[in-house]
Parts: sequence; structure tokens; C-alpha cells
Amino acid sequence: MSRRNRGTTFVNNVRGPTSALTSFLNERGIRRANPAPVPTPSPPRTPANEQEEEQQQAEEELNGGTEASSSSRPTRTARLTRGRTVSSAARASATTSVSVDVGGASDEDDEDDDKDEDEDEEVDLVPITVTMRSTRSTRTRTTATSRSSVATASRVTVATASSSTTGPSAASASKKRPRKKDVSDDSNDEDFHDITGYVSRSNFSHKGRMPQGSNKIEFCSRCRGRFTVKAGTMPAVDEDTGGILCSSCAGASSASNATPASKPVKRPRRKAQKAEIESQVPSLQDLCIQKIASCIEDVEAFGDISDISLDKICRIICRNRSLTTDTVQLFLDSRNMDLRLYDCTDITADGLRNIAQFCPNLRSLTLTLCGRINNDVMNYYADQLSDLTSFSLVGPILITDAAYIKLFEAVGDKFERFELKSSSRFSVKALEALCEKCPNLTHLRLSDCNLMDDDWLTPIATLKHLTSLRLRNPECDRLTTESIVKLIQAVGSNLEELELKGCTSLEDAVLLDGIRANCARLQRLNIMDCEEFTTEGIATLFKDWSLNRGLAYLNLENCVMLKDEALIAVTEHSGVTLDTLSIKGMDEITKDALLTLALCENLTHLDASWCRAMDDEVLEQLVKAAPKLKKVMVWGDHRLTECCPTKQGLKIVGREGDYIDLRFF
Amino acid sequence: MANTEKEFVTLQSSDGFQFVIHREAAMLSGTIKNMLNSSGQFTESAEGVVHLRDIKAVILEKVCQYWYYRARYMNAVNDIPHFDIEPEYALETLMAADFLDT
Repeated sequence: MSRRNRGTTFVNNVRGPTSALTSFLNERGIRRANPAPVPTPSPPRTPANEQEEEQQQAEEELNGGTEASSSSRPTRTARLTRGRTVSSAARASATTSVSVDVGGASDEDDEDDDKDEDEDEEVDLVPITVTMRSTRSTRTRTTATSRSSVATASRVTVATASSSTTGPSAASASKKRPRKKDVSDDSNDEDFHDITGYVSRSNFSHKGRMPQGSNKIEFCSRCRGRFTVKAGTMPAVDEDTGGILCSSCAGASSASNATPASKPVKRPRRKAQKAEIESQVPSLQDLCIQKIASCIEDVEAFGDISDISLDKICRIICRNRSLTTDTVQLFLDSRNMDLRLYDCTDITADGLRNIAQFCPNLRSLTLTLCGRINNDVMNYYADQLSDLTSFSLVGPILITDAAYIKLFEAVGDKFERFELKSSSRFSVKALEALCEKCPNLTHLRLSDCNLMDDDWLTPIATLKHLTSLRLRNPECDRLTTESIVKLIQAVGSNLEELELKGCTSLEDAVLLDGIRANCARLQRLNIMDCEEFTTEGIATLFKDWSLNRGLAYLNLENCVMLKDEALIAVTEHSGVTLDTLSIKGMDEITKDALLTLALCENLTHLDASWCRAMDDEVLEQLVKAAPKLKKVMVWGDHRLTECCPTKQGLKIVGREGDYIDLRFF
Repeated sequence: MANTEKEFVTLQSSDGFQFVIHREAAMLSGTIKNMLNSSGQFTESAEGVVHLRDIKAVILEKVCQYWYYRARYMNAVNDIPHFDIEPEYALETLMAADFLDT
């Protein structure tokens, strides 16, 4: 565990975010004014704390010295230290309840190693833990390290309890690490806080801003420089103005005022954060799911639970990968019309067959990750599920054409939606059967089908009722511009949704001869990763496109060649109707074009990641213009600062200052 | 800043029961943590009262118990006792736990 912890610390110090900041600063011509100070103990440390740590170390050295065997030394050391810690914590009056608990939990530890082994076995039985212990051979070592991490945690307890006696300042090898970490963290701070010359905003209150999960960049109210507030810590507060201070300004001002004031807050918070990472306590959701899964034989059914809740439980259980042949039974009911199983990996073919047996009235069936479904099961579905109108399969690797054809024949005219993802066996024969037997198909979604090529488009062109067509990620550019144009000319007039994601070889003719000329009803267009479309193509498509009244959804992600004219044409044509827009990765766009986003007054979702010109002003205009805006993605838009405008209900994801902490990536 | 924060928060269940628990314990829920930390955007963060209109008192009590259980054994390595959930409440607790991100 402490390994992991060290790892995260290390990740914290990786220069990734720092270099992004550095590039940002270079771009603005901001340089560091002062050289980095000598890495002495940093200002937030007080002499009292120093003494405590030294005392700790002295104790450890003492204990370590008495231990004869060098192999068990870390364990023993940690344990004995902890014993002291407990007693000193218990003596202290101002200890918080949690701190006492830590001591209580480790009270009974001073026993034999054999006993400890047993206890570890018990811990291993807790099924979902943060730390994975895979082999028995590594167990002892893991135990030792986790012990020392506990000792580290309780060291914080001592700091809180503020019961200190002075000891000789000696350092033991096993305890140097946490200390090193502190120093390096502080030096990380130094990278930021000496930067001057940035104009700070006025009218911005720092009160109540409490960084919890990640580091934040803040502005010092005295020297106006940027500096980092580490996760779980509180910056020093200027008593006169109420603004916050960077560590150097705080150190310069009276050391007795600001710094000790932030002390009692700082320690417990850091501890809580550490505990979140290390905790062995399973989450309540896991406990509940285990309980439900363990009682599955006793519980016949979920009872009168709403379909929405049932779906939600299914989703949670799938997310925890607990949906098995046994648990799936709970979701099967003869009244069910709509069944969605989000992870069928652990359901055997028999379990999948049961679906048709127990839910004969299904109208809609979604099976995600259904690698185990085979031809027999599909044939059984064809016999039983005659009412099926919607069928969605993700990853059916075993099913062959014959089984598909039989199913399509069985469902016939009623069939409306077919979705297939990640299949390398579905061929043009099955598709021809689908288009012939099920002429009323309205939704057709084919993603990652390896065999897809131009020949597939001919049968699809016969589906006159098609309103939604998705052809995603065909293998090796097998779809050509000419055949796609022909397809759109045939079915385009009814289409409300068209997705050509990943058809990388398509050229502008698709946009002009295909979409512009035919798609009058189109509302959703996704041409993500279509790299060949040019600025002229997009601009001509949208310029004076009177046939279409405006799109609601447009995804231009990774169309990296597009320039300003394309975006301006889009916002002029569809600005009022757009609710979702993605211009991710269009980094040639300038600020002038981005400012036209303010025309999109109904926008709710915007992905403007990696549009380098995006800045506070653009977002401010947009926030003013679009009252319904809910979510904006701004990854890699380093001109946005954390003082960019926001409002209630708006979520800004990926802002640089918010994500310095890379722990969860 | 931290001095002004109250030590306790109040959670109100759908059937009107109020649970006054330590802020530290309630913060173990991601959802409540976000509510209380949103720098004045929610009334919850100003008043320290959270209305949980979808959660019954029986369930909320269980969840509160879990938070204290978690707070107590967060840093323990072994000797973690099992936290028992009554089978009849397991489902509803699961939904509540999912909502509260616990």
C-alpha cells in the first residue's frame, strides 16, 4: 500500500502538468523572477512538527537497534512505533475520534507473526480491496510495507494530538521516505509560486474554495503570483485583506500568525485523503451487491420494483462485473418487454437461452459483451422471441450468418432496430437477408464490422424507412466516396441521424452531392475522424443550406484540417438549433471563429478540447449567450484559467488548473 | 475558513427523519461531499442540511452506520469486522449507495 502511495506521489511529481503550465507561461512571456530557494524545510513546517518527527525517528532507530534480525526489521519497527503512537495519542486530549480509532484498531497487534499471518488471511477474504495481493510469496513483504504505512498514518495522529517531547535528531533509513516526499512536494510548490507578472483578477473571492481531490493553482493576493495549493491543504490567509497567500509571502509575514493558523486544518485533511487511497474497507455498493449476490438463492425475485430501478440495479451489477448465470435470473420476468444486460461476459450460453425462456414477450433486447452467445441460442431466440422489434448485440463473436438469417426471417416486418458492434462474421449475406426480410427497419447501426465494404451499401439503400444510419469504423477505408454518395441519395431524404465515424477516406463529395442535396430532415450528423473533409467542403455544406432547417447534434471531432470558415458556416446555419457540438481537436481554429459560438443559444453540451485558441473571453460570451449550457469539455485548452466564467449547473471538464493531480489517470 | 464550517451536518430522509452526523463522516459520500464543498452554489453548503428525498430513514440509518464504520476502520489493516446488511434492505441500500457514491 505504501508502495502505491509512493507511486502516486511520484506521479504527482511527474512534469506532465508542469510542462503544460510551462508552455502556457512561455507563450505569455512570463518567466520566473526569483531563483528557486534552497530546499530547506519549507515555511509551513513549524519547529514543533520538526521535533515530533525527529522524535519518531529517534524512537524508530531505538527500536530498530534492539531488533536483531534485519529481515523483519521494518515490520517490527513500524509496529513498535505504532504502539508508542497509540499511547501518546491516547494521552492527548485534543484527539479526534478517528485518530483514536486508528489506535484502537492497532492495539492488539503486538503478538506473534503467526497470528499476523492469520489476520492477513482474513483481510484477504475481503473481496474488493484497493490493494491486490496476488501471490503468497509476496505477502510477507506486502504486510511489512502496509504496516509501515499504518505507522505513517498514525504519525499524523501524533501531529494532531500535539503531544511532543524533544528527542535526539537522528534519522533512520526506513523513515526517510515520507520526509523526502514532503520536501519534494514543497519543491514542487517552488516551481509555481515565484512566478510573477501575471495580472490577477479582481472581485474574486477565495473564501470557501477548498481544494479536495486535486491540486489547484491559486493567485497570491500579495505578490500576485501563481502558486500551487496542494490537495487537502489550506493556503495561508492574509489577515488584512482576507485573500490567500503563497508560501513565500506567508513566510515573510509574521510566521506566528498565518502559518500556525492553517496548521490544525492541514494535517487531518491530508490524512483523510491518504486513507481514501489505501482503505481496505469495501464500498457500501460492493457490500450490497455481495449481499444480493449471496442471497440470490433465497430471493426469488426483486418484487415490485420499478423498471427504471431494475435497470439501474442491472447497470450497477454489470459495472461491478457480478452479472452471472445465477444473478441474471433476477432480471428475467415474463412481463418484461425491455431487457438490457450491460455485461454478459459471465453468462453462459444456457443462461442466455434462459432469457428467451423466461421473457417470451420481449420487444427490445440489448446484450453487451455477449461473446458466449452461439448459433443454438440465436436459433432459440428466433423461435421464441417473435415480438422482437429491437435487437442490439455487442461482441457476438460466435454467431454465423445462418443464425442471423434465421432470426431476421422470424422477426420479419415488425423489426425496427438492429445494432451490431464488433463482429467479424456478420457478412453481406446476412445484411441482404436483413434488408429483404425486415423492410421496415428504421435504425441500423453497424460498428466495427470487419467485413464491411462497398457491397454492403447496396442492400442498405433499399431500406426506405431508415431514419437513423450509423456506419462506424469500417476496416481499412473500404467504404468509398462514390458508394456512400449513392447510398445517401437513395435513403437520405428520410434520415434524421447519420454517422460516418471513422470512414477516414471519404471526401467532400459526400457532403455536397450526398448530404447537402438530400438530407432535408437530418438532425444529427457525426463525421468524427473523417480527416479528408476540407474546410471548403464543410463551409459549402452549411452555407445557405436552405433544404435543412438546422442540426441539433454535430460532431466534427478530429477533423483536424478544418479552419475558421468551417466553424463560422456551421454556427451561421445551425447555431440556433444545435444542442450538442463537438469541435474537439480542431486546433487551427482561431479565436474569431470561436467567438461565433455565441450564436448557439440552445447549446447544452460543447466539446472544445484541444482548440488552443479557446480562452476565458470565448467561454464568457458563450455562457452569456447559452443559458441551457450544462457541460463544456476543455481538455488541453491552456488559455482557460480557473477564473473563467461559470454558473450554476454548468460543468467545466478538463480545465488545466483542476487536474494537476494525475492520480486517477 | 475551516473554523466557520460546522462540525455536524444534518441529513433528512424522505419520511422526515433527521440524522445529525459528523461532517467528516458525511464527507465519505462523494455526492454529499460535492454538495457541501461547492463554494456556496448549493443551499446545502450554506446551511449544512441535506435533503435526501429518495432515501427512507431505515436505509439512511444504515448508510450513516456504514460511514462511521468506514471512518473507524479506514486506516486499519486487519481486524476489520464485517459490516452486515440485512438482506431485505440490501437492494434499497444499493440504490442509495449508488446515488450517494459511497
